[in-house]
Amino acid sequence: MSTKPTELGIPEDAMRRLSEMKPGKRGSLFTSDLSVNEFLLVREAGFRPLSLVLGSSIYHVGFQMRQWSKNQELETLTQAMYHARELAMSRMEAEANLLGADGIVGVRLDIEFKEFGNDLAEFIAVGTAVIADAPPPTGDTWRNNTGMPFTSDLSGQDFWTLLEAGYAPLGMVMGSCVYHVAHRGMMKTLGSVGQNVEIPQFTEALYDARELAMARMQAEAETLEAEGIVGVQLLSLPHKWGGHTTEFFAIGTAVRPLRDDHEIGQPQLVLPLTDR
Amino acid sequence: MTDWDATGLPPAAQTRISRAASSALRSSLLSVEGDAALGIVGLTPVGEVMGCIVSQLGWGGWGGCGYSYTRSGSGYIPSGAPPVTSSDSSWAGFAPYVKALYKGYETALHRMLAEAQALGADGVVGVTVTREQLGVAQMWEYVARGTAVVARGKQRPTHLFSTDLSGGDVAKLMHAGWVPVSMMWGISVAVRHDDYATRVAARSWSQQNVEVPGYSELVTYARADARWQFENRVAKYGADSAIVTDMSMRIWEIEPSDGHRDHVAESVIVGNGLAQFHRSKTATTDSLLVMPLRKGSS
Repeated sequence: MSTKPTELGIPEDAMRRLSEMKPGKRGSLFTSDLSVNEFLLVREAGFRPLSLVLGSSIYHVGFQMRQWSKNQELETLTQAMYHARELAMSRMEAEANLLGADGIVGVRLDIEFKEFGNDLAEFIAVGTAVIADAPPPTGDTWRNNTGMPFTSDLSGQDFWTLLEAGYAPLGMVMGSCVYHVAHRGMMKTLGSVGQNVEIPQFTEALYDARELAMARMQAEAETLEAEGIVGVQLLSLPHKWGGHTTEFFAIGTAVRPLRDDHEIGQPQLVLPLTDR
Repeated sequence: MTDWDATGLPPAAQTRISRAASSALRSSLLSVEGDAALGIVGLTPVGEVMGCIVSQLGWGGWGGCGYSYTRSGSGYIPSGAPPVTSSDSSWAGFAPYVKALYKGYETALHRMLAEAQALGADGVVGVTVTREQLGVAQMWEYVARGTAVVARGKQRPTHLFSTDLSGGDVAKLMHAGWVPVSMMWGISVAVRHDDYATRVAARSWSQQNVEVPGYSELVTYARADARWQFENRVAKYGADSAIVTDMSMRIWEIEPSDGHRDHVAESVIVGNGLAQFHRSKTATTDSLLVMPLRKGSS
């Protein structure tokens, strides 16, 4: 911020604009779900917000018997979590596609189990569809190899930094695995009472489940011909299936390079006047 | 206590504001950073302002079934009838309820702005709007609070601006050439008849993974209508963009007749209309890469 605000005419021009408002004139109106920081940084990165986009699906998650003493993936539940998210995401992408967007930034993916009806959950994807001022330096399009707008769950700040470093998002990739961790038998539990010991069975179960989720996420990124995945979160979501059944969910943004070097400017050190 | 006819400001507020206007004392709800940031873009706080309305929600919603209300047919209800939203007609489904919500939020906001105007302010920043149920059934209190600010210079806006963005956010926006116009709401309630297909899909004993298309459609209608309402309001004010601060959704069951349940979805969108005053590229942000040196930066 090198120029003084007063030289830019702030706040006089702002007040003038407010005095010249033309009510009812529907111009190139856009709505956005971004925070102010994100909104400004996305603009600075060369993208204009078009509209808030969302997709939703209310889904009945099936039921699957678990074997009390067996470590196992619950495929029915895994498929449900996957399919319902996919439905919400693809509806959001369809909205953005209709708007002619290049991508969707700041995507949030939420699941809410409903109070009415058992096993009903709403899966919702919300983001801001954006259009680029210019095509990418690679000469192709910002859209990914499926011809759809890219999606990214990165914050506006991360999105800006990513582009600055010469990468572009391709799409959000995810992997899910709902896993049932075996209960231990009475004798085994008694056998280790009071001891500090590893429970290999549990360790192995958690390893298996996470690896499955991550491998599935990687497979999705490979389909998009991505170079890598950034901002990966690996979540353990207990949902409402009791202590032994957990969804392991991996999600991140697959990226591709826009140029060969990936250097960003040297940051300046600042001493903030606030704690936060 | 005087008998106040609910026009203008209540006497107590009028007294406080008149005193504040003639006094040199300035109050503010802003944080130190917020205040400093606003100072940079030429906005000075002049006082803390409040607007409030208590209203009775006399009619919680129409008790009929989501299908037969707008369509004259009774008895046989075909599957797949689309949801009815509160915008479909002035009496459709929950229209009076939605109207009451709008009125509550907007009256609180306007009373707050009336206080700000009396202080000679140009706008109100950092607005919080709350809706709370009083002890009595269906009595609701809507309160808007914020900090009135005045802009440096001679230019005055036609209408006071209002925003729920913090002082810092307002400063960043103005620096980039955008000014907040007004807080906006988009509210819609949709109701859908639970037909046979919906009931089958939502059956709790079912082992199948299936989408419940009826419910998905219900929430989609409610949200789409709320977004449309929101955008219309943004356009009505003449703003050219909007930032959504919050989007909430509530679903509940109603029982219009014995043993038959329908579902109702309420979608509320809150945000800020913005107007761009610098069309040139020069006034947009010029970010600097910085690395803050603070405790806990690892």
